[in-house]
Amino acid sequence: MSTIPAPIDRGLPHDHARHLIACHFLVEEAFLLDEHRWDDWIVLLTADIRYVMPVRVTTMANAGSDTLDDMAHFDEDHYSLAKRVERLGTEHAWTEDPRSRTRHLVTNIRTGDGPDNEIRVDSSVLLIRSRGDDRPVEMLSAGRRDVLRCVGDGTNGSPDNSDGSHGWRLAVRWLTVDESVLRTQNLAILL
Amino acid sequence: MIDPNEIAGHIGDGVIPAYVYSDPEVFELERTRLFPRSWVFLAHQSEIPNRGDYVVRRIVDNSLIVVRDLDDQVRVHFNMCLHRGMQVCRAERGNASHFRCPYHAWSYRNDGVLSGLPFHEDAYGGDDGLPRAEHRLLSPGQVEVHNGLIFANLDGNAGPLSGHLGDFAFYLDLYTRQSESGMEIRGPQRWRAATNWKIGCENFVGDMYHTPFTHRSVVDISLFREPTANKRKEGVLYYAGRGGGTTYKLPPGDFHHGMHHVGYPDDMIERMAGQWSQAQRDLVGRDGFMVSAATLFPNLSLVHNWPKIRGGGSDDDVVPFISLRQWQPISATETEVLSWFVVDAEASEEFKEDSYKAYLMCFGSSGMFEQDDIENWVSITTASQSSMARDLLLNSRMGLRGDDTAITPPLTDFAGPGFARVGFGEFNQRNWLTLWSTHLGGGPIEDRHPLTPYLDRDAGQ
Repeated sequence: MSTIPAPIDRGLPHDHARHLIACHFLVEEAFLLDEHRWDDWIVLLTADIRYVMPVRVTTMANAGSDTLDDMAHFDEDHYSLAKRVERLGTEHAWTEDPRSRTRHLVTNIRTGDGPDNEIRVDSSVLLIRSRGDDRPVEMLSAGRRDVLRCVGDGTNGSPDNSDGSHGWRLAVRWLTVDESVLRTQNLAILL
Repeated sequence: MIDPNEIAGHIGDGVIPAYVYSDPEVFELERTRLFPRSWVFLAHQSEIPNRGDYVVRRIVDNSLIVVRDLDDQVRVHFNMCLHRGMQVCRAERGNASHFRCPYHAWSYRNDGVLSGLPFHEDAYGGDDGLPRAEHRLLSPGQVEVHNGLIFANLDGNAGPLSGHLGDFAFYLDLYTRQSESGMEIRGPQRWRAATNWKIGCENFVGDMYHTPFTHRSVVDISLFREPTANKRKEGVLYYAGRGGGTTYKLPPGDFHHGMHHVGYPDDMIERMAGQWSQAQRDLVGRDGFMVSAATLFPNLSLVHNWPKIRGGGSDDDVVPFISLRQWQPISATETEVLSWFVVDAEASEEFKEDSYKAYLMCFGSSGMFEQDDIENWVSITTASQSSMARDLLLNSRMGLRGDDTAITPPLTDFAGPGFARVGFGEFNQRNWLTLWSTHLGGGPIEDRHPLTPYLDRDAGQ
């Protein structure tokens, strides 16, 4: 498991072109997840995607770390994410049939400076997950540290493909989950 | 009032009162009669490799600090200050020479002895009024280690750990002693689900019948080639000591071939061959069975599977993984799952990373097998709380005819100890539940450990 990217020191102004690209990407992505359009979501990932959610632990303030460096809830590459999505598309993924009703609320978006074809963006996500008719709503909150990369010949801010995904892809997602003991029955969802 | 004898009687008949999966009275008996009197798993030594390293674990509602003290000895302390009862450790892991209560600063060395308190002379007259050396954090009655696995028995009357494990140790070795160095453990992932803790124990102890259907999606996507129904029923169910488990039938071949079939590299197979007894090797090489899921009473389970972890290549390009998990009861209707990844300490770094990947894809909080299991168990727990469920006796008679004789006889020539049968059956679940129900009765210790499985009347014992 490689190490977590450092947080963005100071975010760009919110009218900066890079910030607008990042916001657009994250909000459109959340829409796809909430619509269960996972096949369209997979298209947004680079072939070398790293998608990691380390296990968070309760430690004393002087312990230096509250994250396990050798155990994660998710530690995914393109193959394993594609398998998860493929599974959800079968008729036998019982835990998501009936589907969870989800709301990915993405906020506190902070965008970093950098090369034209790559954007570091930090955000917070609150996942609200409702299942069935007799269970309380489950919630999961996490920080995200993402790297977006522009693929093809597109440059900063210029959409280059026809399917509306803007040429920007998710290359790295590091999720800092806030609970050490998750209060959701499984992670059959994506954050 | 529930009657433990009545429950035991039902289980003897091969039926389970549905309410046992959510009844608060049953849970109270488990809390007060079962868990304090049994050996219960706490942690693995590799989680606390250095002096002062600690993790905090639970036995039901008891918070316990598992620490390697300054003399390199593993100790277990009840996490409650002797003065006003505050928890002296509020982290779940770390390194500490002392545990100091934040309320009034009573301090305990990591071997549990009270070493300091403010104004000892002024407030207590020094060691004369409050002799520090005689005050130590409470400890479980017994703590023992097997293959690096640390177990505790709260009441101290459960006899030696070796007696608790019994012949299950033969099978436990296959998961936890693949080389002289033993295993490394990572994690745990922890999460809570609205399910009763017993359902996971029963599932892992012997439910081969659920695999083809519950886990059909992982076959659909070619992640794991084995769990088709016909393949699954060729496996053996075994039960020995206080545990049991499931296996898969291997294709014909010797020990090396069998281990290779599930993805072990040559160097690991060599070490296992050197480490395991002839009988342990024969289970694989002569009889052709590979261990998969298992449960050791009361709430420790293991799993060993071998999925395909990358695209391309052949369907035989699989990687094995082992997980250890504990079904930690929170209440009658809520369980915390602690799920660890286990790997042989002498394995190559490349194997460790691949095996870790295999684990994450299949089991644990995001695992594609485990997701569907817990969905089922939450549903069972919910339904068992309803008033109509109060009178429902769940059918747990698989493997038996109407006259209680077994459909498939036990194997007479099987490399492992205990009872073993090929095919689908709920013999193991009934054995596990029998032991469970005997604990609820609170009888003397001998009566708590029936070694003759119920409903095995044609087994010739």
